[in-house]
Amino acid sequence: MDNKKESIGKILLGKWSTKTIIGIAIGAALFGVLMNFGGIRVFTNTSLTTAMIIDVIVGALFGPLPAALAAFFGNVIADLIGGWGFWFDWSIGNGVLGFFVGLLPIYGAKIADGIFEVKHAIIYVVTVIIGNLFAFGVVTPVLTYLFYSQELTITWGQAISAVISNASVQIIIGIPLLFLLAKRNARSTNLTKED
Amino acid sequence: MNSDRLFINVKPGKTFIDRLTGKTKVRTFLALIMLLIATWDIRLILPLFFLFIIALISIRPNWKKVWAVMGFIILVNLFNLLLMWLVEPDYGRNVVGGSTVLYRLSDFYIISAETMWYFFVRFTKFMATFVISLVFIQSITPSEMAAGLYSIKVPYKACTIVSIAFRYIPDIARDFQNIKISMQARGLELDSRKASLMTRLKQNITILAPLIITSFDRVGNIANAMDLRGFGKKKTRTYYAEHEDTRGDKIMMLVYLLFYGLFLAVVIIKIVTRPEYQVWYP
Repeated sequence: MDNKKESIGKILLGKWSTKTIIGIAIGAALFGVLMNFGGIRVFTNTSLTTAMIIDVIVGALFGPLPAALAAFFGNVIADLIGGWGFWFDWSIGNGVLGFFVGLLPIYGAKIADGIFEVKHAIIYVVTVIIGNLFAFGVVTPVLTYLFYSQELTITWGQAISAVISNASVQIIIGIPLLFLLAKRNARSTNLTKED
Repeated sequence: MNSDRLFINVKPGKTFIDRLTGKTKVRTFLALIMLLIATWDIRLILPLFFLFIIALISIRPNWKKVWAVMGFIILVNLFNLLLMWLVEPDYGRNVVGGSTVLYRLSDFYIISAETMWYFFVRFTKFMATFVISLVFIQSITPSEMAAGLYSIKVPYKACTIVSIAFRYIPDIARDFQNIKISMQARGLELDSRKASLMTRLKQNITILAPLIITSFDRVGNIANAMDLRGFGKKKTRTYYAEHEDTRGDKIMMLVYLLFYGLFLAVVIIKIVTRPEYQVWYP
């Protein structure tokens, strides 16, 4: 394991190895499946879905941009197998959310190395809330207006329920899951490398 | 979840649509989806809907599965419409124009002809989208999809993401089912009638954690296998699944060009005339 400090830009983009590509693909597939079947419906086209966890996992393991891509492709796949029509405004909104949620490595929560502490959890909660508000409160309504020039009343209702349900899923399920994954990946907690 | 609902083919079939190249399938599908998103005109949606039904019949799907999914989708869409009506009963006023009250339940809850018309158009539109998606998924293999996307200049790494995601959906569905059954065997209650929302949400984690761990454990294996075969070394890529254009492809090329033309026409008409209401009403 090299301890070289990586530049922020590099962490933002993630490492584009084959592993990242497969990670995004598996993440997108999981997202698509969970979006359709792992949820409890709360409002038109929005549900309390466990798919939102995928953003967290892909973000934790691969970084923000892979998380964004996994969420975007995942949502397109979910639309394709779900049969409720294609909503690219929501796909892009989910991509933006994935980016925010996937910021984990930026503030030092390196799940792959087993680092996730209470202070990371607090920053995580803040980014999740900001990300949800920005993605579904700003990005999606604007795109809905541009793409579909649709009345926004329903979109606002959907946005509010999406923000609340996604944020609660990502916080209530996400934090225990992150601790679990970090514990599982904690290879070098007590050991120091000898030269 | 019922794994029967997810039917992703890995071997191409034998009917006319199956034998087209991935390029043609992806391009036609994109044209149709864009057209369906752009239009709210039943005069265009209804013929397309019938066309898609014919396409669905022509690929000779497993009807038992199709009906099961179809029933589910119809219910979901009707439920969505009901929720929309509950939130805004007079939805038609803004999108269709006017509100002719047919029946008044209370001051707020009215049934207006325009709203019902809008719901009818919306329902047809989404059913059409669903049927064409079904035809698309049923007739394409993951490799063909990657090849098709590559033909419209999507970077091949993104194509690989899509095709691998599709390839793994059945696997994930199977894992999910297995984990769920074994968890239920240990006494996990997932029935919505017996467990509250919070408990079910908590119990979902106990299924999710093993599912995510097994899925992401695969990443290393797949990535190594692909690296060993030299994935990502070159700038471009060719696809084994892509074959030369058949006569059917040449015919379909005219068809999808026509649909792209139609899409452009719809968008241009919308921009030029700026209709007051987006849904056409007789």
